[in-house]
Amino acid sequence: MQVSPVFTAALLFVALSPELGLAAGLNNEMTKYVQGLETQAKKQESGFKGFDPERGKKLFFDARPNDKTGTISCATCHTSDLKKSGKTLVGKVIEPLAPSANKARLTNVKETEKWLLRNFKQVYGREGTAREKGDVLMFINAQ
Amino acid sequence: MNPFGKSFFAVLSVILSVFVLTAGPARGEENSELMGKVANKAYIKECGACHFAYQPQFLPKRSWEKIMNTLDSHFGDSATLDEATRAEILTYLVKNSADSSSSKLSRKMLASLSSTETPLRISDTPYFKRKHREVRPNVFKRKSIGSPANCAGCHLTAEQGDYDEHKVKIPKN
Repeated sequence: MQVSPVFTAALLFVALSPELGLAAGLNNEMTKYVQGLETQAKKQESGFKGFDPERGKKLFFDARPNDKTGTISCATCHTSDLKKSGKTLVGKVIEPLAPSANKARLTNVKETEKWLLRNFKQVYGREGTAREKGDVLMFINAQ
Repeated sequence: MNPFGKSFFAVLSVILSVFVLTAGPARGEENSELMGKVANKAYIKECGACHFAYQPQFLPKRSWEKIMNTLDSHFGDSATLDEATRAEILTYLVKNSADSSSSKLSRKMLASLSSTETPLRISDTPYFKRKHREVRPNVFKRKSIGSPANCAGCHLTAEQGDYDEHKVKIPKN
């Protein structure tokens, strides 16, 4: 059987870029942003093999100690169903985080970076690493 | 001869001048609870994403400066902004702070503070406390209100900058 070289190349490309499937649906600027995170993650972690939504899910639900609320995780405000609206600690409604429920999500790099920075600091008390940010984004993108 | 005569115009001018006088300068601001709507998009978007976008007229300039210079730990939460946005919002807040406002509410708010006090919460000011002294603490904790930070929970026209007590409706739960 004859397999076209183009097909083989395409197959190889997809196989070698597992994050490509995970980043499906992202627009150009967001795709570039995720690729940038990937480059950084490779530099920072020698064993890095691409982003993992399962690790992102753990980061999302991991409850950390918090002075005001006892414990806090991303799900404290965004709830455990990302397709539903959440509430901030002072009661303001947060529109759903899942792109399937809210088209505006993960479309703007500046917004995405801002909230990743703020919310990692809020929950983890520090900035997220490139790998962590990519993991969480891939988890959110799959919702 | 003119059928209206001179006296008609005299009466008319008196009536008109009464209108002009009662309209007066800065009509809205003369009303104690009227401060107007928040007018800065970045402020509404960034600050209003998490909490009610309080009218800048509520706090003195020094309060807004302190708040906007400590966003990394904003009442214990991270509210970090990029520098351009932070600077824009600070400019708006300072320009419209209680110090620059002629509204009665701002004047009363300032009068309730000593010049060395820099409140970070509107609800910490003596003026706020006095105005809400009849509201029991557990009322603020009701599910649909949450805390004193949620102005619009009871002040139905808070977003319009109207805190007239006749427009207050306290939810039952």
